[in-house]
Amino acid sequence: MTARAVVVADYGRGNLFSVCQAVARVGGAPVLSSDPAAVRGAERVILPGVGAFGDAMAGLRARGLDEALTEFAATGRPLLGVCLGMQLLLEESSEFGRHAGLGLLPGRVERLPQPAPGSREKIPNVGWCRLEPAPGGTPWADSPFAAVKPGDFAYFVHSYAAQPGVPRQRLADIVFAGVPTCAAIVRGPIAGCQFHPEKSGEVGLSIIDAFVHRM
Amino acid sequence: MSAARVIARLDVKGPNLVKGIHLEGLRVIGDPRAYAARYYAEGADEILYVDIVASLYGRNNILDVVRRTASDIFVPMTVAGGLRSLDDVREALRSGADKVAINTAAVANPGLIREVSEAFGSQCMVLELQTKKIGPDRWEAYTDNGREKTGVDALDWGRHAVELGAGELLVTSVDREGTQKGMDLEFLRRLVPQVPVPVIACGGVGTPDHACEAVAEIGVDAVAVASVLHYGKCTIGDIKARLAMADVPVRASP
Amino acid sequence: MSAEPARPQANAASLLDTKFGLPAEVRFCTRCVISNQRPSSAVEYQHTAASKKQTIHFDEAGVCAACRFAEMKDTQVDWKERERALLDLLARHRRTDGRFDVLVPGSGGKDSIYASHVLRNKYGMHPLTVTWAPHIYTEVGWRNFQAWIHSGFTNLLCTPAGRVHRTLTRLAFENLLHPFQPFIFGQKAFAPKFAALYDIPLVVYGENEVEYGNPIAEAATPRRDLRYFAGSPAAEPLYLGGVPASELPKHGVELWELEPYLPADPALLHDKKIEVHYLGYYLKWVPQECYYFAVEHAGFEANTERTEGTYSKYNSIDDRMDGLHYFTTFIKFGLGRASYDAAQEIRNHHLTRDEGVALVRRFDGEVPRKWLQENLDYMGITEPRFWELIDQFRSPHLWKREGDRWILRHQVS
Repeated sequence: MTARAVVVADYGRGNLFSVCQAVARVGGAPVLSSDPAAVRGAERVILPGVGAFGDAMAGLRARGLDEALTEFAATGRPLLGVCLGMQLLLEESSEFGRHAGLGLLPGRVERLPQPAPGSREKIPNVGWCRLEPAPGGTPWADSPFAAVKPGDFAYFVHSYAAQPGVPRQRLADIVFAGVPTCAAIVRGPIAGCQFHPEKSGEVGLSIIDAFVHRM
Repeated sequence: MSAARVIARLDVKGPNLVKGIHLEGLRVIGDPRAYAARYYAEGADEILYVDIVASLYGRNNILDVVRRTASDIFVPMTVAGGLRSLDDVREALRSGADKVAINTAAVANPGLIREVSEAFGSQCMVLELQTKKIGPDRWEAYTDNGREKTGVDALDWGRHAVELGAGELLVTSVDREGTQKGMDLEFLRRLVPQVPVPVIACGGVGTPDHACEAVAEIGVDAVAVASVLHYGKCTIGDIKARLAMADVPVRASP
Repeated sequence: MSAEPARPQANAASLLDTKFGLPAEVRFCTRCVISNQRPSSAVEYQHTAASKKQTIHFDEAGVCAACRFAEMKDTQVDWKERERALLDLLARHRRTDGRFDVLVPGSGGKDSIYASHVLRNKYGMHPLTVTWAPHIYTEVGWRNFQAWIHSGFTNLLCTPAGRVHRTLTRLAFENLLHPFQPFIFGQKAFAPKFAALYDIPLVVYGENEVEYGNPIAEAATPRRDLRYFAGSPAAEPLYLGGVPASELPKHGVELWELEPYLPADPALLHDKKIEVHYLGYYLKWVPQECYYFAVEHAGFEANTERTEGTYSKYNSIDDRMDGLHYFTTFIKFGLGRASYDAAQEIRNHHLTRDEGVALVRRFDGEVPRKWLQENLDYMGITEPRFWELIDQFRSPHLWKREGDRWILRHQVS
């Protein structure tokens, strides 16, 4: 059995090395590429991302990857957005002005709520946070979160969070500044993790594993 | 609320994992990759690699170790030791590190902290603070792996570094490290309330209680441990269990 | 100026003067960082300005005697056999009548802490410890000395008369550039003499100097050569500070004041059956492990910051003169403290040679500024005079002048 190929979109931003390592670790065959044709023709795609929304979209556009991703998503094949990559799947973000995203899921990206004065929470939110099923969201059993348990921790580094327009497309939340904050989304074959699954230990690897083998 | 972190610290010299007392008398322990993989499997929330000879040789060989380890561990990695420029940092991040910890170069050129945090994000720029008690209420910052005094007050320097953009402070007590006799709670007690960024305490953990004191009583965000793990005195799981008993949120050990 | 005819490279060294009878050609060990200029221990009582040094031996493969010795320790010595010999020795001396049965000379450094603890706790002996004071205690040295005592050992500290010690130190510095000599006299002679006084026949030191390059033949026996600490002034005139003992009253030191420095009477040692052994013959000695042991068993503290002239923090830290001593070895032989420390750690597999080289090039020969003024005051020498003397002892085959700086002709690489 040959390993399942996963195209990891390279648009100059993101923790590409670790994402590829994680894909390899779960038995996938990572293919790092900035070529729109490779994305169009892929079996499954991971969209990583670190940095600012507007800048990342510009990077995708410059390589023609924005169109390639949209066409890929239309085929119904699995797509996983990681960290900023998840945010890019939505319609719009307010980070450093208003920027349009790929619009593959309804919803926007907004800055995290301000923590109370004296609280040890900060923006950017960096660290291990507890995942819980989103109320009214997709049950985990039918998603890449099938092996995750409520209360499992994942590793986050972000200042902005997604606000999906459709409650059912919300998959997991954390609590930040006392407010439920979106940690993962799913819409059919398209999923996203706000946290870094490639840095979230076995919990994160189980999600990548599910993405590579069972979506 | 995020979990308190237990970080495995690996001091690396060439191909070897080493350990000293007071950062002196470095004994070879074994293969860093094997130890890192084991600590990851035991539930380490982060791995901290310190290149002990980088500033001596003027180059950083630890990146080989980091790259190879990246296929074994899937939690954040921090690299420390001999990082002097944006290029060094870029190279470290490209090799799989998520954060860099800088000490000697930052003391020599504090502007580097701002440069790194602006280029790569403050969450990636950790200032390592090596402290030595020099009076009833005074600590001095040391560089060069605990070898050279700076004449700089450690508390002042820590605060200043955060103002310059350091996203996290890694505080290593030269007095306590390697002794397994408990952490330097006195310094931590003063530092933690004065800085708005996470503090990682390092140096002196000999029992899970020592780690718990620092987290539960003083409020550090993470503890980095070395000797106690390398010499098998306790495991990451033991430390996390102790923290959980004190109602500190921790990511469970497998 | 007319051009000089070209000379073949091999002869270049022989054109330069060499002091102290050192080898004209400078070579570095291929395994560690020591050079062939390293002097073996001298019988200090015969040491004068005219003395020629015996130096460490290098074999045809370019490996020094200390490295060969280390190799032997690793591969040839039967340590079980050696320990059996130790058990026999101790069995012969062990007392159960409430008296001390072994004298352990030491300073409260890592080696004496290790030796005394092991003899007492592992081998059931009843040690008395004895210390010959350093010139000027450092704070960490004094604390470690106290910690040693408090870890459970009766100790007798002999401090030589300050004025005498200072005079001898100054003379040794002026005549031999060897300020450490007065310490060395007592370090070797005091314990055996005290053993005779106190009726403790067995004296146990730590490591044999062969570990550092003395002739390997000296390691064939566990016992220290008598010449180092015994002798009769009547048979051979003694020199202290490079000055004949009989001339010392001219310098304000009366003969009776020299008693603590003088060698033991061989006849007395013989009558009292005094034996001086090296524990390092019986137990495999690893200085870094002694450091760990000392920290764990007596709360030994390393130096608070890097020791001047080297990278390390746990070797020889109890005397404010230590730095000056190593600085003089750097001047005379081109080997400073970092060279000695790195060579030892290379042989014990804690450092690679490359790392040792980098450390030596970075730290060797650092001027020991921290206590320099205090040392000069101690000896009663002004700083200009100090540098004048220093320069007089630079051998041309080791040093050359470039502008206003002195440069070593040969550095380890």
